[in-house]
Amino acid sequence: MHKEVAKAFKEYYQTLDVNELVVKDLQEREIALIPIGHETMIRHMAFPETIALKEHLVENVPAHLYYSSAYYKEPQSPDMNKKGWKGADLIFDVDADHIPTPCKADHDTWTCLDCATKGAGFPPEICPKCSMKRIETTTWVCDRCLEVAKEEVFKLIDEYLIPDFGVSLKDVEVCFSGHRGYHLHVQTEDLKMLTTDGRREIADYVRGVGLDPRHQGFRIMRDGSITGPDLRDGGWRGRFAKSVYTYLSRCTFEELKVVVGSDDVANIIMRNKERLLRGIMANPPSWMGLRGVELGRTIRIAKAAVRDVLCNIDERVTIDVKRLIRYPNTLHGKSGLKAAKVSYSDLESFDPLKDAVVFKSGSIKVYVKEAPRVRIGDYEVGPMKDVQLEVPEGLGIYLLCKGAAELRE
Amino acid sequence: MLTIDDLAKYPFLRKASSFVESYGLTFQDLVNDEYYYVVQRAVERVKCGIRGRWAELNVVDPETEILSYPLALAFVYGLRQGWVVRRFANSEQKRCFELLKNEDKDKVAEVGKDGFDWDLEGTELMVSGALFDFSLPVENYLEVAPSFHSPDWKLVNRHVTGGRVYLKQVEAARLLSEALKLKILRKAEEEYIKKFQMPERLLSKLEGLEKLVKEIKIYDEDAAVEIIEEAKPPCIVALLKDLADGKSLSHMARFTVTTFLINTGESVENVLKYFSNVADFDEGKARYQVEHIAGLIGSKTKYVPPKCDVLRSFGLCIGGDAYCKKVRHPLQYYKMRAREIKRKKGWEKGA
Repeated sequence: MHKEVAKAFKEYYQTLDVNELVVKDLQEREIALIPIGHETMIRHMAFPETIALKEHLVENVPAHLYYSSAYYKEPQSPDMNKKGWKGADLIFDVDADHIPTPCKADHDTWTCLDCATKGAGFPPEICPKCSMKRIETTTWVCDRCLEVAKEEVFKLIDEYLIPDFGVSLKDVEVCFSGHRGYHLHVQTEDLKMLTTDGRREIADYVRGVGLDPRHQGFRIMRDGSITGPDLRDGGWRGRFAKSVYTYLSRCTFEELKVVVGSDDVANIIMRNKERLLRGIMANPPSWMGLRGVELGRTIRIAKAAVRDVLCNIDERVTIDVKRLIRYPNTLHGKSGLKAAKVSYSDLESFDPLKDAVVFKSGSIKVYVKEAPRVRIGDYEVGPMKDVQLEVPEGLGIYLLCKGAAELRE
Repeated sequence: MLTIDDLAKYPFLRKASSFVESYGLTFQDLVNDEYYYVVQRAVERVKCGIRGRWAELNVVDPETEILSYPLALAFVYGLRQGWVVRRFANSEQKRCFELLKNEDKDKVAEVGKDGFDWDLEGTELMVSGALFDFSLPVENYLEVAPSFHSPDWKLVNRHVTGGRVYLKQVEAARLLSEALKLKILRKAEEEYIKKFQMPERLLSKLEGLEKLVKEIKIYDEDAAVEIIEEAKPPCIVALLKDLADGKSLSHMARFTVTTFLINTGESVENVLKYFSNVADFDEGKARYQVEHIAGLIGSKTKYVPPKCDVLRSFGLCIGGDAYCKKVRHPLQYYKMRAREIKRKKGWEKGA
């Protein structure tokens, strides 16, 4: 990493208010870091209080700083079996990398390491040319990606954590990841002891994995007609009713035809649409508008309807009971942005590409090899290739950290 | 309120333990004639377990019923055979389930509280045609439910609201009895239980049970290994095909295939042969890694393949077949099919 970046990072930690480093039960967490200019992680550290941690960071400036989601009796023990696991936060990782947004074609590229085939946009799982799986990606973010990630966070909190899991806002900490998304830390005593299997069930719940509408109120009545859940129900029942209502009120005949797999059935539903929607809204609801539609097809409609309300999270992070995750309010070495804690009330207006920028003094000269259009703060530039630029410090550091630019004196 | 009859029905409760403690008995005292029936009842419970039946409730003499339970457990753990513990746990689970299924709601809630610290609450909630009898916190539900295979028990297919999961009584009974089973199984893993020595004066009883164990044991779990190709699950077959085609696999895929082969009894040499077609094959490195996984070097831990859920998360499950629906782990698939294939072959030979 460039000297300029190292100097800037050091300054950041020197002037950082220790209160920014406050995390729940710091003394029980394992701390790990990757020092600037190194590849390997230094693990199994522990600090009794934030002031000691800050001193360490000033002396050993990290490119990346992590803490364990787990609480341990002996967080500094190098033997995982001797650490003495005492529970862990429930973590959700929302990463734009995992969400296929259309803007990826504008700023992401991938290369197959086996046959060197290149492409733009969301990377394929296997190379379309040689079918190998070793794909290297070059990814960037834009406002669109970060906005989608933020919507996922709201969805997770407002539609799942609060109503279904009874989590209160004071126990949820939202952090910008410092790069392409957000981390949610749920810190309640109730959920702390969940096992990997238990956490997987929660991840599957919000991702809708294994979801069967037949267990959530959709069934055949004795007279052969179909009935479904009530909008006023909690949990997946209510979510199904609301989603089907929204879906049917705006889907086109063509879309519906594909979902139900029949022109005739799609026709019946479109003809009955008003009656059907009124029925779903009624108290108690009536699903009589689906008369003549088999349960199998109703299930397909229900599944298509909830696609937009499923959460796009990286489940591997959620199920891990010993995850090392980025330390809140520290710098991300691949962007120079701050992994800022954001309160729920500020989240709506939070602009990561502005509010997480910490380097704001003066400008620096850089030589940019290649980059798509980039915005940092109010300054926007690109797409660009082989150009020399003088840019505000925040943007310069960002390009240097991304490895897209070199420093020019 | 839990009565003495309730404690006889549910002798795993904390209140039942206190009841036993109030007698101030040691295992030595149990040899005295006055406790003859307690020892008899304990032996009977264990025998029922080993034979795969559940011990019917004996309410005529609740004290004997309660006192016999910890002794039965001591016998079971003292026999030091995994399958005996599993069978006993199953029989106690069934007994508990049958009793709880028709129990008063208040009692069920008390069993949850006193036995497992669960905040089980009676309710009468009607939602979209379903009537629920109980609710309990998500975290209590998730202590046990992931061990069930059926999709009905997935959290996503449950009514969950306000941090609570809603259940019918029969489901609450199933969940509680499964919690009991897991408690019995987990305890067997604890160090002090592994070291437990049966007092000498009870050894004669234990020896009697050991005889029965030998009679009943129908198959030898450690029988000589013979690799049965047809018994490999679809996910492993697909990965082996990728290897044969020389494709390079992800870290997780390589780990899965290696642990699977090692655990079905393949030698390190044979495992290396599977990898030899891969473009970036480096025998020295590969041998080190395979030997590590096999527990021959390093931490000496023999690793097992990830279970189906994990393979699914990593995109290594390719959908599976009818057998996959019955299992949760690729090795379980292999063992089940291998047994079936062996049995079939046996018949063919016999015929």
